[in-house]
Amino acid sequence: MVTIGIIVGWTAIAAALVVLLAPAAKSTGPQAMPFLGGGTPDTHAWQRYHFRPYTMALLFIAFEMEMMFMYPWAVVFVSEGIKALAEMGMFLAILSVGILYGWREGIFRWQ
Amino acid sequence: MTLLLALAVLGTLLAGTLFAAVLDRTALPLVAAFGRQRVETEAPDRMNRDLAPAWYLALAAVGLSVVPFAPGLALIDSPVGIVIWGACEALTVVTVFLHGWSPNAPFPLIGAYRYAAIGLPVMLPSMFVLIAAALPAESLSLVAIVESQREIWNVVRQPLGLPLFLVVALALTLRGPMDYADAADIASGTSAEDSGPARAAWQVARLAMLVSVSAIAATVFLGGPLGPVLPGPVWLWLKTAVLMALIVWLGDRVARTTPSRMLGILWVVLLPLSFLDLVISGVLAL
Amino acid sequence: MAVTRFGSLAARAPVPIFAAIGPGRQADVERLLARRGLRRAHSPRDAAVLLVSGDLPDDMLEALSRVHAQLPHPRATVRWIDETADEIADRLRDAWHDLCAGVTDEEDRLPDVPPNEWKGVGPHGQGGEGMMGGTPYGRSMAMTGPDIRDGLQLDRYTARIGPFAPMLPPGLVLEVTLQGDVICDATVANAAFAQPAGADAPELCAGRVVRLLGLEAAADRLIEGKRPGAVWLRGAVPSGLGLAEGTEARGRLGAWLAGEVVTVAPVDLPDFLEGAEWSEAALLLASLPPSAIIRATRPTEVA
Repeated sequence: MVTIGIIVGWTAIAAALVVLLAPAAKSTGPQAMPFLGGGTPDTHAWQRYHFRPYTMALLFIAFEMEMMFMYPWAVVFVSEGIKALAEMGMFLAILSVGILYGWREGIFRWQ
Repeated sequence: MTLLLALAVLGTLLAGTLFAAVLDRTALPLVAAFGRQRVETEAPDRMNRDLAPAWYLALAAVGLSVVPFAPGLALIDSPVGIVIWGACEALTVVTVFLHGWSPNAPFPLIGAYRYAAIGLPVMLPSMFVLIAAALPAESLSLVAIVESQREIWNVVRQPLGLPLFLVVALALTLRGPMDYADAADIASGTSAEDSGPARAAWQVARLAMLVSVSAIAATVFLGGPLGPVLPGPVWLWLKTAVLMALIVWLGDRVARTTPSRMLGILWVVLLPLSFLDLVISGVLAL
Repeated sequence: MAVTRFGSLAARAPVPIFAAIGPGRQADVERLLARRGLRRAHSPRDAAVLLVSGDLPDDMLEALSRVHAQLPHPRATVRWIDETADEIADRLRDAWHDLCAGVTDEEDRLPDVPPNEWKGVGPHGQGGEGMMGGTPYGRSMAMTGPDIRDGLQLDRYTARIGPFAPMLPPGLVLEVTLQGDVICDATVANAAFAQPAGADAPELCAGRVVRLLGLEAAADRLIEGKRPGAVWLRGAVPSGLGLAEGTEARGRLGAWLAGEVVTVAPVDLPDFLEGAEWSEAALLLASLPPSAIIRATRPTEVA
């Protein structure tokens, strides 16, 4: 409860500070144009953007899930001993094969 | 006590940000920016544009709150302090993305997506080295991690930990070799359309994050408030200041490669190194 | 009192300058902005003083007005015609002091009208044919096209970048179509401004590349003729990038760092840039000496 209060408190202070300190943004038409070194765009910048490392993002999800298992594992590691080390070693070895396979398939390239 | 610790966090953040501005030689430019006009871009996402610096600043403050200022004394004395800090790291990626997305301009947008691509894999070595530090402590609490370093600091116990975490720190504070959000080839990227006080607010938040990430690194790898003669907070401040200077120095001295190449380096070099770090720490902890 | 004290504190900051570099002045401006007390802004949003150097052709004046409008108020313009570098550095500092004291400002040179006529259906102009057919806020949305790398149908963003884009050679206007951050299509809409041979000086060429590698201070040290004091300079440039006449970008940077002048025959610039990711494209252009870029974009004048 105290933790949540502190997190909300800092966020509220930061938001209040930033919003109060910054004046309202105002511009004329030419001033508002996106900076392109004097050039002009044809369209708005917002778009269905081609996020090129999308294949990497899939592998990333696998590792993020793996992270969730690691938190409880870290706490019981010393009491479980060599068994915990072997289990996580196997798990990481399997995931590492995934990295190697992905590397061979070129998923870390900008597609 | 909570109030005192809250003041300590606030004071550390303020003094640390000032120190960071001096290290970075941006104190006077930041002051100058406050006196200038704030430009509005074409049809921006106003809410996210206004709040992105606030989130960044808040994440820095929350991150610093889990740091123990004296043995056993942290503002957020949570049994899962490492997880709270991990959430701050992950949300930083979201915040930087929103900052680049909000002005509806091409260079900030490219910077935002670039940072998302690099920021995600940077999270992995970060959590591996932090978990490697949690193994000997048998706890995810930063207070317990400090206690576990009474005999020997983690920087000795897991020699790869601090260097890997410095890479993470450079990425979180948008600095030098890991500054993919605000690169020169996209006219300072996510900040390209920021002007006046809004620009200053973002830069201040970035410096505040440098304080937080250095304090976390000092706690996890350098024993935090542990040290002879001087009181705990002073040791923490000294170690944090040294790490801040080291991170700024690295940011000014190491070149940045292209994002596609860095993506490969992160997965194929840094991630296996963090596995190795975990194994070393695990074997030593048994 | 408080205002003047704030202003005098701000005036001690390095002058934030956005440089619009004209014909023949690239080397002068690069050397000038490496000085202490002057700071080169990457975007006009971060600048207070617009430095216009050289004799700009008439068809570039509208682009100059656009950049000028993008500087936040209060702002000033300093023109560099034939003064010495010391004189112009003093004028830049004076202009900044006046801005901080709040005595000067400049209005837009362009009329205050939206870039396009507001049209479309609905409160934000979002309506139209299909999901993306409208022109919200007077500008249309990007439409899809096949990608050159993986063929995905995602949005293509077309814009003209330059002539004063800090990551491109001065004067060069590229009309690029980006999908994500990869250049699908590039044409040279305006040639790079002619520069004397001094722009090919090794320290200036190395400085340009090093600036793109994120090392501002190291680039300034290089231009002043000192050691860069940074690591992984050549290694950070991907190998195989910008292959021309058997030399690649990494090798050319190595030669410049060793103080050697590099000459490269004209390359087919659009062909060079198409398919490159934007940061690779910027590195690639910086890794060609200005003489090569000028000859590549101005073929008729060579013949």
